[in-house]
Amino acid sequence: MKIPHLGRRALLFFASLLFAMYVLAPIAWLVSSSFQSEAEITSVPPHWIPHQPTLENFSTIFTAKDQVVTYDTRKEGDTASGGFIPSTAKNLLPSMWNSLVVAVSVVILNLLVSVPAAYALAKIRFIGRDSSIYFMLTTRVIPDIALVVPFFLFVQQLGLLDSKLSLIITYLAITVPFSTFILTGYFESLPDDLDKAARVDGCSRLQTLTLVYLPLALPSLVAVVLFTFLTSWNEFLLALMFTQTLASQTMPIVVASFTSDFTISFSFINAAGVLAIVPPVVVAIMFERYIVSGLTAGAVKG
Amino acid sequence: MSLGTKTLRRLIGSPVSAYDQKSAMLFLAPMMVILTVVAVFPILYSFWISLFDLKLTRPHRVPFVGFDNYANIFQDQMFWDSVGRSTSFTLMSVAAIMFIAMLMALLLNEEFRGRRILSAILLIPWAIPYVANGLMWKWIYDSGYGALNGLLFQLGLIDKYAVMLGDVHKTMLLITNSFVWKEVPLATILLLVTLKSIRADLYSAAKVDGANVWQRFIHITLPALTPGFALVMIYETMMAIRHFDLFFILTEGGPADASHVVAWQVYVETFRKLAFGTGAALAYIMAIVTFTLAFFIIRSTSRKL
Repeated sequence: MKIPHLGRRALLFFASLLFAMYVLAPIAWLVSSSFQSEAEITSVPPHWIPHQPTLENFSTIFTAKDQVVTYDTRKEGDTASGGFIPSTAKNLLPSMWNSLVVAVSVVILNLLVSVPAAYALAKIRFIGRDSSIYFMLTTRVIPDIALVVPFFLFVQQLGLLDSKLSLIITYLAITVPFSTFILTGYFESLPDDLDKAARVDGCSRLQTLTLVYLPLALPSLVAVVLFTFLTSWNEFLLALMFTQTLASQTMPIVVASFTSDFTISFSFINAAGVLAIVPPVVVAIMFERYIVSGLTAGAVKG
Repeated sequence: MSLGTKTLRRLIGSPVSAYDQKSAMLFLAPMMVILTVVAVFPILYSFWISLFDLKLTRPHRVPFVGFDNYANIFQDQMFWDSVGRSTSFTLMSVAAIMFIAMLMALLLNEEFRGRRILSAILLIPWAIPYVANGLMWKWIYDSGYGALNGLLFQLGLIDKYAVMLGDVHKTMLLITNSFVWKEVPLATILLLVTLKSIRADLYSAAKVDGANVWQRFIHITLPALTPGFALVMIYETMMAIRHFDLFFILTEGGPADASHVVAWQVYVETFRKLAFGTGAALAYIMAIVTFTLAFFIIRSTSRKL
């Protein structure tokens, strides 16, 4: 080593500190300000750590459904106490439920579609295999924004505007190719002999897949579930086009609607932002290893 | 992991059995149907729509106009201005992402205590929704009470709080910063994989030859990173060109069109002016650009599968 031991450690420590600050500082500020009252977050210069931490912003969200927000009640609301809450505040929790329903449905349908397809592409010899792979890869790169207009017209004609079903169907378009791709790669990496042995023992193709390969493919299945869940939970553009009311509005749409409110109360929005990032952040940290291996497999090969 | 030889070996064997052919078709059918309905058909239909003057404000008269929508777009100065903005957004973002991700990947490639924690927190920006990311930065950039102003003020870099997102000269830089922060983790992971594949004996050989840290970086690490950089560049370019969410949350194309990029124009034409024909044509132009870029990915990918 050319760099002396102590110098190397100091350098690594300093670099790690910069790394952690770059990644965490914005989040830390969001969390810190979500525990501050409107009066406190409007102090100049800002209080980096709340002087008088309050849970009021969060309780506003959880009790918002009982409140009737009108121009008058909002005018009476004291700005200093965070009384100005967006008129859509009560929608946040129901929209998170919608997001959950949509995400879980997409995850299940996605697995039903992509697991058998990936197995066939990886382990079965058949005519048309190469063109099927090209087909899947091509659909993977269609940008979502190019699908917006035709999707909207379809969904409108089917009378599915403002329904969760329209989101579930369209999210399949943006998640299935990726899932199939990751799973195909993973199945390929499992030994072919398993396939032959199971077939010799009299297993049908379906049994070979469900009894032999599925248990072995668990890590990649976890990765696929996570990606599909996060993509559906976070998706914004298509949801913005198709949803109009709480029948289908997902969390990103309701959170975004807070910003278009002209009497914006940042203390409230910060609390909503914290609630919105908690589920994906927990998922990401809990399953870090699966995500990294999945991302690596998925992106490096395409 | 290379898949080519295995596949080849399997394909050279005995002829395809009828049972295998049938089961493969059945297994693939759901995916084929879904992708045809939700991806292939829409993208073809989108092209068809782009040949009509379809306006939802006037739903009963939809004249066929051929390529007029495209001609109008190409003659519109606004379009070229937004292409310029999209291009500069993409170039700035991709350059910053590659640089920051490279530094982070180099750090994570070292062995030290705390490395595991760093790689876990790295996933946070990647995992959070773009909408939450947008809100977070909108609050940080706030001109009245934002953290950026507060920080610059406390460091003595400014005497009084400045206009941030509302300043036409700063707005694109600030949006780029928010985008970069969220995209860096994925790029870091991709570069880290490439770094891990560099053979250790290259470094020891270089050390024997008397190369210092900097020389080893320039002559071994950087060239070895090329495939990783290429992948990140293509992927992030595709992401940046089509990016919409932050422009919606942070500025809505403003101030004074300063952040009016092509993706934002698609939205304005389609859902504000309700000119679906023009919107479809614009989106199609974006799709073709993206496809051209993706072609390189597909070509390198399918060689491996």
